[in-house]
Parts: sequence; C-alpha cells; structure tokens
Amino acid sequence: MIDTYLFFGLALLSVLGALGLILFRHPMNGAMSFVVTLISLAGLYALLSAKLIFAIQLIVYAGAIMSLILFIIMFLNIQEEDLPVDTARWFYLAGGIVLLAPVAGLLLKIVESLPGEAEPLTEAGFGGVKQVGLVLFQQWLLPFEIVSILLLVALVGAVVLAGKRG
Amino acid sequence: MFDVMVILPLAATGAGAILIMLVAAFETFRREGISILGMGLFAFAFFIQLTVDNSGDIYPFAEVFNGMLVANTFTKVAGLIILACGFFSALAAQTYFTQNKGFVLEFYCMLLFAAFGMLLLTMVAELITLFIALEIMSLAVYTLVGYDRHSVVRAEAVLKYLMLGAFAGAFYVMGAVLVYAGTGSTSFAAIGAVVADSGYLSNPALVGGSFLILFAFLFKAAAFPFHAWVIDVYDGAPLPVTAFMATAVKTSIFAVLANFLLINPEVHQGWVTFLFYLSILTMFAGNLIAIGQQNLKRMLAASGIVHTGYLLIALVALGSERFSGGAILFYLAAYGVATLGLFVALSYLSGQDERRVSFDDFRGLAKVRPYSAACIAIFLLSMAGIPPTAGFMGKFYIIAGAFQAGHAVLAVLGIVSSILSLWYYLRLIIVMYFREPEQRFEVAELTLAPLGTIVLAVCVFAISFYPVVL
Repeated sequence: MIDTYLFFGLALLSVLGALGLILFRHPMNGAMSFVVTLISLAGLYALLSAKLIFAIQLIVYAGAIMSLILFIIMFLNIQEEDLPVDTARWFYLAGGIVLLAPVAGLLLKIVESLPGEAEPLTEAGFGGVKQVGLVLFQQWLLPFEIVSILLLVALVGAVVLAGKRG
Repeated sequence: MFDVMVILPLAATGAGAILIMLVAAFETFRREGISILGMGLFAFAFFIQLTVDNSGDIYPFAEVFNGMLVANTFTKVAGLIILACGFFSALAAQTYFTQNKGFVLEFYCMLLFAAFGMLLLTMVAELITLFIALEIMSLAVYTLVGYDRHSVVRAEAVLKYLMLGAFAGAFYVMGAVLVYAGTGSTSFAAIGAVVADSGYLSNPALVGGSFLILFAFLFKAAAFPFHAWVIDVYDGAPLPVTAFMATAVKTSIFAVLANFLLINPEVHQGWVTFLFYLSILTMFAGNLIAIGQQNLKRMLAASGIVHTGYLLIALVALGSERFSGGAILFYLAAYGVATLGLFVALSYLSGQDERRVSFDDFRGLAKVRPYSAACIAIFLLSMAGIPPTAGFMGKFYIIAGAFQAGHAVLAVLGIVSSILSLWYYLRLIIVMYFREPEQRFEVAELTLAPLGTIVLAVCVFAISFYPVVL
C-alpha cells in the first residue's frame, strides 16, 4: 500500500520537475528543477528494487552530470538581460500540447494494456552489484563492449569540435 | 567459416579508426599521408568483406555475444556498399581538401568510426545493440558535418541535425522500451517468436513500440514527414561528408529497417498500408522540393528524398514471393554509385571554397572539360533511370517487385515520379552541353578525384549487368 503512495508521490515530483525544466525562464532554475526529476527517478528505481541503478542514478546523474551542467551555466554567467524575449512562448506550449495529446493518449492506451499487478518478478538479491555484473558481462557483453567505441567517438568528436584550428 | 572472419571487416574498420586517431597525433603524418591511409583502410576492409562467405544465417560468437549479431548475404552486400561509399567519400575528401580549408586529421578517423557503426547496424539482431550502433554512426556524422566552426552554414546544419537526431534517438529508445514491455525481450528472434505465438496486432505495446522505432528510422532515412532537415544539413555539410551521408547512412538505415520489418511477416504486414502512403508522399514531396532548387547540393539532397521513396516501395513489396532484400541493395548500390560519382566530380569541379555550386555555374562545362561532363551526364541519367544504366535496372527491379506484390498503383506512381525527376536531372545536362562556357574550371593540383569519377562511371554500367543475387 505504502509503495503505491510512494510511487504516485515520486512520479508526480518527477513530472513537476520536468515541467519546471521547460517552464522556468532562467537556465539555472531549470537545471535545479531537473535535479528534482533525477532524484525522484532514483526513488522510482529504488521502488523497483534496482539498488545499483538507484545508487548510480544518484551518484552519476544527480551528482556528477548535474554539477557539470550547473558548472557550465555558472561559467556562462547568464544575466536576466541575456535571456531572449520569447513572447509566443505560451502559444508554442499550447500548440505542443495539442500536437502531443494524441501521442500521450496512445501511450496511455498502451500502458493500460500491459499486465498490471503481477506477482513479484524479483528473486533474492535482484538489482545488486553482483547480479547486475553477471547479467552485464554474460548476456550483454557485446553492447557493453561497443559502448566503449561510442564513448571514444563522443570523446574524439568533442575534441574535434572544440579544438584549436591552425 | 570462422566466426572471426565474419566480424573481421567490422574489427578492421574500428581498429583502423583508432589507428588514424593515434597517427594523427604525430607531426610526420600530414594530410596526404592520412588520406591515403584512410582510403587504404576502407579498401582493405572492403576486400576482407568480399572474401567472407556468409551464406545462410551465421551468428558470430553466438555464445559470447548471445546471438546479438547475425551475418548473411544481405548484411555482406550491405557492408560492401557501405565500405565502397566510405572509400569514394575518402577519395572525394582527398581532392576536396586540396582546394578547401578546414581540414582536421581526425576527419578520416570519424569517417571510419561512422562506417564501423554502419557495419554494426547492418548486422544487429537486438534492440539495445542497435541503438548503440545507431548512435556511434550518428555521433561520428554529426562531428563530420559541423567540425568547421568558422562557417555559419555548417554550424546551422550540425545544430539542426543534432537536435532532430536527438529527438529521433529518444523516439527509438521509447519504442524499444515499449517493445520490451510487450514481448519481454529485445532480441529480434524472441520478438519474432512472440509475434508468431500470439499475433502482432493484439499486442498494443508492441505495435506502439515498433511505430516509434519506425519513426526514428524514417527520420534517419529522410522519409516524408521527417524530410525537412535533409536539405539544410546536406547543403551545410562539406561535399565529401554530404556524399557519405547520402549514400552510406541511407544504406545502413535501409538494411536495418528491412531486418526489423522481417522479424516476422506479420510485423511487415502490419505496416504495409502505412509504408504504401508514405512512399507515395515521400516521392512526390521530394520531387516538388527538387524542382525548385537552384543549388546542386540542395537538388541532390531533395533527389535523395525521392530515392528514399523508391526504396520504401521496395520495402512495401519486401518479403512477398520472389522478391527479397536483393532489390533494395541493388537499388542502393546503383543510387550510391551515381550519387558518389556526382559528388566526387563536384569535389574537384566546385573549386576553391565550394564556389561553383549552382546550376548556372556549370554552364558550358562540356566544352571545357568534356570527359568530366560526360561522366556527370552518365551519373545523372543513371539517377533518372535511363537504360542501360544501373539506375534503370534498380528501378526496374523495384517496380517489377511492386507489380508482383500486387501494388500496381505504387508501380505506376513510381514511374510517374521517375518521369518528373527528369526535369531536374536533364536541366544540368542541358546547362552543361548547350550553353556557352564562361569559366575555365581550373583544377588546382593533380588529384585522384578525376580518376575516381571515371571508375564510378564505368561502375554505373558494370553494376547494371549484375543480376539480383539474393
């Protein structure tokens, strides 16, 4: 029972955080609001007994990546007068909602069709470091390995894009 | 056949990319050396791929990789096309950068990384691996499009491509999640088994998920509702990169799209009507855009949309009797040869800083450089589908396939669109042959591109004699 309330509370928080991200004018406020989303997502992972993902979500996303984003925003030193005046903002927002409403309806229909209230799917130790490691290195070895190429491409790409030119 | 042979072209491309990345750090290697090295690596991977015998479905390292990769003749030929496109794009780049600024040594490294992602993309049989391969390809191509920060056009192109590409990626991930929710697996084989077991349309999560996945692929392939980005991005990218994007990216996306739709005949059947209307709209939208263009690069981008439309016709007819992926690959090869030929020719004819790019700039080319003009005419005729070129045979297989699958309307509309496309292909030929020259079309140094153009012009005819083998 308590987990249902927790789920709805965290889900509401994460959606509010995401709304704040797109509605706040100043990037700093948006970023802070995004932290709320990331932390409540971590809570949702914990509800699913994904312990390792919960910890990684907090440490990597809400911790490392968010501090990088905040660092860059502070580095740019954005003042109130630097922000663009977007008068048609609410207009675009309303248009977006109208456009996306059918997609949201479709997604709701799909989610309703999924089997709910199933018996607990997890066995003892699910979501621990050992279990995730076993699955990762036994079943998912290939994706794990090629992610390293992806990171290398991203790294070289960033250096090429930002590097000094002669 | 040893498993290692099957993934050797893939490994060679990846290792080659890393090699160039390391070599670029040394002072001794300059542009010329790196260009030759890049082309050599593409040629090397091409010949390994050519020698591999992939008959039947081979799961390389099935135990270790859990059957996430699958190789067969279809993936082999798709890989060959991708590597050949890579080779000729590298050749075009070698010439292009003798006359244009903005070369970085990592250019060939990113080209090879993109080819690595594409080769992987043709072979994947699993949704998460597919996403990673797609992103390897996309990230490398984003970098190639926009690494020249001094040009505003490039910056605009990369920004548009990056933002829309990120959306497409997000759609894909959402779709993959829904497919997993609906079937309990991300492997193509397991999804196919679930569909065979309980049907396709009775599973809303699977239908919705594959809808979103199709969204992402159609975006990358520049099909109708998602075609708007193509013109600006192709126009903004450097010429060799545009050539690479127009050919290799399209090949890999159509290979993976065909693999995905063939998970189970029922999945394909579920999308036939959708793809039917989409292919018509794509063809005619592309034609309308292409007719209005004054710039050659933009015209080629728009004609790329039209060719996506033909390939979608092939997808509609896919899997029906006596018609398989062979026609798609044949068409991609024919289209790739003609497009690359044009871009390779443009890479030495466009001159310094890409100053000759509009139709009018090529007035009277035939009087000054008759061989180049003849080659360009051959490429244009092949794209328009005039016999006996490869383009004609490709269109013939696709339209014949559509007839056999019972889509006569589609076949007729394909022919109509093909006639419409003559407008903008012949326009360049007329400009080249029937106007007086105003420029001397000087070429700076001795480069490889003129030779490459002639080789590709020969290929246009050579490919048309190959039967569809798959």
